Amino acid sequence: MAEYANLVRRALGQIGGHGGVRGLLLQFFRVNDLKTGTLIGVDKYGNKYYEDKKHYFFGRHRWVIYTTEMNNKKTVWEVDGSMVPAEWHRWLHCMTDHPPTTHPPEPKKFLAEVHQFNVSGTPQQYVPYSTTRKKIHEWIPPKAGAQ
Amino acid sequence: MLRLPVVSRSFLPAAITKGGAAATNNARTAATATAAASNLLEVFVDGKPVIVEAGTTVLQACEKAGMQIPRFCYHERLSVAGNCRMCLVEIEKVPKPVAACAMPVMKGWNILTNSEKTRKAREGVMEFLLANHPLDCPICDQGGECDLQDQSMQFGSDRSRFTEGKRAVEDKNIGPLIKTIMTRCIQCTRCVRFASEIAGVEDLGTTGRGNDLQIGTYVEKMFMSELSGNIIDICPVGALTSKPYAFTARPWETRKTESIDVLDAVGSNIVVSTRGGEVMRILPRLNEDINEEWISDKTRFAYDGLKRQRLTQPMVKNESGQLIPTTWEDVLTRVAGVLQGVKGNDVAAVVGGLVDAEALISLKDMLNRLNSDNLYTEEVFPMEGAGSDLRSNYLLNTGIVGIEEADMLLLVGTNPRYEAPLFNARIRKSWLHNELQVALVGKEVDLSYTYDYLGESPRILQEIASGTHPFSQVLAKAKHPVVVVGSSCLQRQDGAAIMAALSTITQNVLSGGVEKTWKVFNVLHRVASQVAALDLGYKPGVEAIRKNPPKVLFLLGADAGCITRQELTKDSIIIYQGHHGDVGAPMADIILPGAAYTEKCSTYVNTEGRAQQTRVAVTPPGMAREDWKIIRAISELAGVALPYDTVEEVRDRLYEVSPNLVQYDNVEEANYFKQANELYKAVNQAVLTEPLVPPQLTVKDFYMTDPISRASQTMAKCVKAVTEGAQAVDEPAIC
Amino acid sequence: MASTAATRAAAAASKVVKPIFSRDLDEAKRRVRQLYRAWYREIPNTVAMFQLDITTRQGRDKVRELFDKNKHITDPRVIDMLVIKGKLELEETIHVWKQKTHVMRYFYETEEPRPTDFLSKFYRGHDP
Repeated sequence: MAEYANLVRRALGQIGGHGGVRGLLLQFFRVNDLKTGTLIGVDKYGNKYYEDKKHYFFGRHRWVIYTTEMNNKKTVWEVDGSMVPAEWHRWLHCMTDHPPTTHPPEPKKFLAEVHQFNVSGTPQQYVPYSTTRKKIHEWIPPKAGAQ
Repeated sequence: MLRLPVVSRSFLPAAITKGGAAATNNARTAATATAAASNLLEVFVDGKPVIVEAGTTVLQACEKAGMQIPRFCYHERLSVAGNCRMCLVEIEKVPKPVAACAMPVMKGWNILTNSEKTRKAREGVMEFLLANHPLDCPICDQGGECDLQDQSMQFGSDRSRFTEGKRAVEDKNIGPLIKTIMTRCIQCTRCVRFASEIAGVEDLGTTGRGNDLQIGTYVEKMFMSELSGNIIDICPVGALTSKPYAFTARPWETRKTESIDVLDAVGSNIVVSTRGGEVMRILPRLNEDINEEWISDKTRFAYDGLKRQRLTQPMVKNESGQLIPTTWEDVLTRVAGVLQGVKGNDVAAVVGGLVDAEALISLKDMLNRLNSDNLYTEEVFPMEGAGSDLRSNYLLNTGIVGIEEADMLLLVGTNPRYEAPLFNARIRKSWLHNELQVALVGKEVDLSYTYDYLGESPRILQEIASGTHPFSQVLAKAKHPVVVVGSSCLQRQDGAAIMAALSTITQNVLSGGVEKTWKVFNVLHRVASQVAALDLGYKPGVEAIRKNPPKVLFLLGADAGCITRQELTKDSIIIYQGHHGDVGAPMADIILPGAAYTEKCSTYVNTEGRAQQTRVAVTPPGMAREDWKIIRAISELAGVALPYDTVEEVRDRLYEVSPNLVQYDNVEEANYFKQANELYKAVNQAVLTEPLVPPQLTVKDFYMTDPISRASQTMAKCVKAVTEGAQAVDEPAIC
Repeated sequence: MASTAATRAAAAASKVVKPIFSRDLDEAKRRVRQLYRAWYREIPNTVAMFQLDITTRQGRDKVRELFDKNKHITDPRVIDMLVIKGKLELEETIHVWKQKTHVMRYFYETEEPRPTDFLSKFYRGHDP
């Protein structure tokens, strides 16, 4: 009986932890996993960072629930690891035990103000330019408005 | 360097030429002696008998016997200098070795080309030459094609006794084309002789004596000649090398393709050196009938224009008027749709100056199948009177070689020095050696030889025609008179009147004492495609298009800017096919990338009417295709498929239309001057008073005349150097 | 006369080239059938062994197609040679000397036929 009570308690905990059945199902379909834990912090984009050292072994004990909209891009279904900003990345990947909420990172020039998505696979991706001399220089048509 | 032996007796003193030993010579060769043979004498080359004319030099006699004598300063087409001493040979019973290039043979001489004394003499000369020659072959651009390198391997010593310091000479900046490393100079003076004899500019010379002898321009200036590149070829060492080609390729790396130049109407024979699908340089190829062994600077150095501003993808204008690259499938369907969407007469085509005969016939056939005959060339030719119906009206009938036989030349409204530099070199050669007299009507220009200036008004021609001008008597007295009219002065409104006047002059001369087979009248064209286009029945001039703007205009390499978008109706569509984004491409709605002359095997007819073939040296860049293939593909999609799939079948079609177009290297003679004159009598046009001014007056107009040379940076540098001085384009020396 | 005829016959006989295995077409055909049967039986194993994403039916159809590709050949020596090659392939398949990709190469067309008409040649390249 106690087992069943435990099960129900956990189920209720999950439902509560994800904001109702609707939230639970959304979470389940987004990441194929259901976890509840302590909310450590929320970054400025709305990504939520959780920790549960009790129920999960090391390596699974910190996780992120991604925001649904970041940098004007719908990220309900298209989630990407590069959505985690640098300051949270180090906590999330267990480089440190101090989350940026308690230990704000030193401001550095290279830390981006607005976090950027990974652009690999998009037209904006970086393509290394050729350093060899071009054999044929093609004609570039003049811009339409210019003439 | 192998060259054909040419006996240039004119350079030798008359006393030698007339050889005094004719009588004894007759006795010796009595068995075969004829009247002509009285001038022959027998000499022996290494014991092998050879019969030569009196006055032949030892070197030429040896060459006739198949024995090459090493030489540096001697060159068949230049005067004999005899200062390198490399051609020393021993002659039996002659006490000292003699310089073979300067010594005329005597009867019965036995020339020993491989005796101990000869070899010793060569080795000694080579040792002296190398004493002051830097041993920098690994970084020298002449490496691999250097006469000094080859001959020192063959005739030089295998070790050096030289321990002293070497002479060093400051390099000269003689323009953006020729790089000088004067330390390497062996003072053969070939370049000096070339400049003064062939090019006709006294720019180069020697200063100092002995060890201090230097070749240079006396004062720091540009070597300003349209044939200047040839001194790179004749320099036996690496003292004069090509600046654009410097440190780019070695001769053994390149693939050589024998081809034809199309940047002027002369059709010089060239060798295109390519490496890895890139044209590395262009060299002349021997053709005694056209360019001998010279080519003009535009021919030689404009090749970098083939790598710039190229059309490599088909393009289509989108809604905002921007040209967007697209695929062949897309663009051909569009073109076919455009052609099918209008009535036949609403389609017109204009062809430019670099178009080959295959593309011309394909375009003509396609448009004819679409019920249109609006085929025009950019170059104008007066159609009144005989027009282009008689082939002799628009050819250089005398031929380039024919100039050497002429004794009187009248140039009308042309500047052959820049319109056809090799033709001008031929005139200069004839002026120098055959006492050709030249007269000029038109703007006074520097032709590198003297001429009688008759004035610049076209009325003078009418005066000559009517016999009132004193020159008409001079012309009547001449045995082989030649009249050359530049195509540019036929572009004028009064072109037909000028033609009529010239036709009358021709007829007057022919009715005089001139032999009947001699051709007098000549047209000197400026673009390579014009003769083929007229042969195929294209109409010269775009005036008709301006009067009656078509809905669809097909520009085939038309880059002279004869027609602009404003002259057409608003909704007319322009299709441009060509290889450079120059004048025609920016105004086009659809662009079809074609192949340039080094990228296709095609036919060009030069101003003499000589059909010649270019060969494929490199593949067309990107998605570009051969021109006739593009037209053939359009025709198939437009539902009027042309009946030829291979270039051979196109040539069969060319043969049907005009057989001379596929009789390569053969000049089909045309001789209808009398009929032309009859037709021109009907021309009722007054000549204008404006002077006859050819478009290329000075050397700076020469460099950029067509899409390829306009795209060339080297040519742009030349123009800059000519206008601002050679220092303006000075580059930091690498070595 | 008779002797010359005999020598001629002998010469004609000696001209008959040496067979590889089969002396006539029937024998060659029998070998082909043997090979086909072997392949037919091996297909289910192959599909299982290589964990191919095809059905046995598809595999057998492909075998049939490959055999049919050479059905115009009538020279027993050529047939024998092809049978030898088929056996090699079969052996390599049975012993898993091949890998999955090598088996699946039978199913992908890697070679495009060269264009013959002008337009497709034109689209394809400079001078095919």
